[in-house]
Amino acid sequence: MHRVAPVLHVLGLVILIFSFTMLAPLATAFFAHDAAQHAFDESFAVTLVAGFVLWLVGRRWRRELKVRDGFLLVLLVWTGLPAFATLPFMLYAPDMSFTDAYFETLSAMTTTGATVMSGLDILPPSLNLWRHLLQWLGGMGIIVLAVAILPLLGVGGRQLLKAELPGPIKDSKLTPRIADTAKLLWAMYAALTALCVVALKLAGMDWFDAICHAFAALSLGGFSTHDASVGYFNSPLIEAVLIVFMMLAALNFVTHFLAFRQRSLTAYRHDPEVRGVLGLVIASCLGISLYVWQAGVYPEYLTALRHVSFNLVSLATDCGFASTDFNNWPIFAPMWMLFLSCVTASSGSTGGGLKMIRAVLMFRQGVRELERQLHPAARLPVKIGGHAVPNQIVFAIQAFVMMYIATIVTMTLVLLASGLDFTSAFSAVIACINNAGPGLNEVGPGTNYAGLGDFQTWVLAFTMLLGRLELFTVFVLFTRAFWRG
Amino acid sequence: MSQILPVLHILSKVLMLFSVAFLLPLAVSLVLEDGAHKAYDEAIVATLLSGLVLWLFSRRGKRELHTRDGFLLVVLIWAVLPVFSAIPLLVHMPDLSFTDAYFEAVSGLTATGATVLSGLDGLPPSINIWRTQMHWIGGMGVIVLVVAVLPMLGVGGRQLFKAETPTPMKDSKLTPRMAETAKGLWLVYAIITGFCILALWLAGMNWVDALVHAFSVMSLGGMSSHDASMAYFDSVTLEIIVMLFALIAAISFSTHFMAFRMRSLIAYRFDTEIRWFLGVLATSILGLTFYLLYKGFYLDFPEALRFAAFNTISVATTLGFSTTDYNVWPYFAPLWMLFLSSFIASSGSTGGGIKMLRAMLLYKQVYRELIKLVHPNATVHTKIGKQPVPNKITYAVLAFLFIYVASIVVLSFALSASGLDVFTAFTAVVAMVNNTGPGLGQVGPASTYAVLNDFQTWVCSFAMLLGRLEFFTLLVVLTPVFWRK
Repeated sequence: MHRVAPVLHVLGLVILIFSFTMLAPLATAFFAHDAAQHAFDESFAVTLVAGFVLWLVGRRWRRELKVRDGFLLVLLVWTGLPAFATLPFMLYAPDMSFTDAYFETLSAMTTTGATVMSGLDILPPSLNLWRHLLQWLGGMGIIVLAVAILPLLGVGGRQLLKAELPGPIKDSKLTPRIADTAKLLWAMYAALTALCVVALKLAGMDWFDAICHAFAALSLGGFSTHDASVGYFNSPLIEAVLIVFMMLAALNFVTHFLAFRQRSLTAYRHDPEVRGVLGLVIASCLGISLYVWQAGVYPEYLTALRHVSFNLVSLATDCGFASTDFNNWPIFAPMWMLFLSCVTASSGSTGGGLKMIRAVLMFRQGVRELERQLHPAARLPVKIGGHAVPNQIVFAIQAFVMMYIATIVTMTLVLLASGLDFTSAFSAVIACINNAGPGLNEVGPGTNYAGLGDFQTWVLAFTMLLGRLELFTVFVLFTRAFWRG
Repeated sequence: MSQILPVLHILSKVLMLFSVAFLLPLAVSLVLEDGAHKAYDEAIVATLLSGLVLWLFSRRGKRELHTRDGFLLVVLIWAVLPVFSAIPLLVHMPDLSFTDAYFEAVSGLTATGATVLSGLDGLPPSINIWRTQMHWIGGMGVIVLVVAVLPMLGVGGRQLFKAETPTPMKDSKLTPRMAETAKGLWLVYAIITGFCILALWLAGMNWVDALVHAFSVMSLGGMSSHDASMAYFDSVTLEIIVMLFALIAAISFSTHFMAFRMRSLIAYRFDTEIRWFLGVLATSILGLTFYLLYKGFYLDFPEALRFAAFNTISVATTLGFSTTDYNVWPYFAPLWMLFLSSFIASSGSTGGGIKMLRAMLLYKQVYRELIKLVHPNATVHTKIGKQPVPNKITYAVLAFLFIYVASIVVLSFALSASGLDVFTAFTAVVAMVNNTGPGLGQVGPASTYAVLNDFQTWVCSFAMLLGRLEFFTLLVVLTPVFWRK
């Protein structure tokens, strides 16, 4: 009790604050006179009261939180909030199962973007706004998680990010306290979102779609207000705007912040990940368009380039919009896109997967071991941005990658055992653990996750959570050492 | 040149020695008058002459070999011997392409067991003996490689094996010099093979089949003299014998050697890998048996157990025989078997994959990282059999895993980009790098690798070598650093 109760106290407060975010869709429902207004009324009341009660009950055990409590808090926030977020869906559509509703909200708050809902075009606007708002809020949570909390907890070599920001910029530790950091980065995030809304509006969307898609793009979530996703608009201009903002969201928000404050682009030059992200994405876009064009899917190279660029950037950055059913492309292309989704996003971004910095480090470590074969006695430090990375961090990252692979293998086998075919199972696990969204085959961009059984849906929900909380945050709770002492 | 010549000199001696190996199939061919003896005549002459010419040419470069030369020597031996091993196949089957013949020979010498040939039942017995004799010779090579050569080269944390064999036995370093180690292990290998031949013959095989299958089992290769593999015999007794010897071959041969020398089974108790190996295998067999029963694939328990046990052991130990087309089982079962094949064989056995010892170490390392999250300042050691493992070795093992996974990903992409479906591409690559043999899909146990085009066949040949030489050995030779002074 003494371990859990203080955490619940804080959780109560978070839920309390969270309930107020329901006011936005509530207002929308009120002004648009749509059918979901009562659903939001009741959800708001229930969430508010539940948060308040939890806060009140937990107050007796109130104490300063320790680092160790962070694991539990993070997990409870990311599982608890989606549970309350399901209320509007279940109240509006009583035949929607809790399994599906929870999958939808968890998918939103982890900014995965996998959906079990169809007929999005005729859904009340307030519910669509709620889905996208959840993604946007999830994105806010992720930025704080990635920049402040995980480094503090030391998950998967995240300390690297804390200690090793590029050399010349001395105030790269931002303001020391988490709260201040969060506020600054959130301001950055909000500003970029606003820019995106305006750009999308100018490119031809109506305000509502522009807001929803901007929320989904900046959080790298990938929900859309249309079943056909971005394919509905069929506009190269909109696609171009989204590509730009998805790429921005896949870079480190700390770097954005530094660039903004210094009014200069040098911050990007000193970020060890930016080059990797851009290089990989651009080379892949050109290469895959060539491949798809050669295979005869599109008659012209430029058409191929347009569709490949949008869908590849979308999947690689772990956003998950689709403008065409890329499931029909020769299988190498979508597989490569899924592979990119594992490594492309930067460490301080809203994207998922291993993160570019870990991929770079793993690659260098591989090269170092090759060199060590030849010079067993030589001291060969692994360097990122000119600085040697401490062995302890390399270890932690290697263990993280190992755990990541083991999780993919295990989850794929579980889905296979439950009767899914190989391509669907494997791609669904990859898409969920990276928080990308659409997989292939049965869960491809032309369909959605509604075809899965309850068991499979829960497995994938758990996978999304594991990916978002970077595995160790969850797994550590299963060790005896965590609960002892 | 001064770097290569001494290596070539040794290679020439190996070649001349290797030509002796053709005498067995030659003798068989002459005794049975199967019409293939011309093939071996030519092979002997070609191999002996090439060896002699190379010997004369490289004589002046003769010097003591350094550690670094070891990498090149190992790679050359495993890449060049298949060229000469392919000669009898090419001479006897003039319409076989060099690509296919080389694939068959690599598959033979790396003890993989993948074949491009069909109509095996109609081949001359001596050809079938040659195919599996390649396995057996390859197995001899593998034992020396894993027990003596790779630890010396320090590949993928193999030093662990050298320094850390179970504690109570002080003479566990075997005889100090490599040559004597090799002789001791080969003797054990040969004796067990003798027993296997005898057992198979007593259980009803004719002596050619007994020889062929014993060669195949002891090296964990997997080629057979029948298209239907072990299903041809349809005999429970034979299957039990094969399972038993496959299990023996998947245990470290230095443990067998200890047991022989001490005339006691106590050596097996101190081998940390055996417990895990048998535990995982037994659990998997029972689990798959029930899974197949549950899915209604087999109707009674003994039948399900018979097929699950044989095929699981065969694939998991990287042998690769089959008694049924397990490709038609629900996907989970064969994929689980392939998964097992990637780590279950012991480190000093003739099996492939990452080896049980490395898998144990990886598991413990992940656990250590979890504990470290809870107690950031604690010193936690990774232990194998009560002894702490130096960090350097853990590093090497983690990097090994990374290279292993990266190789699977890259090679799968290469195959799928060339037009193979994902499932076939992935399982083929896994079966190749683990030196298992049959994959799934188009290259399942009921079909052969003849469906691949030339490019894909070469990729697979490369994958087999890569897996057999434990990645680093081959990759180091391909780096520019290796060739720099």
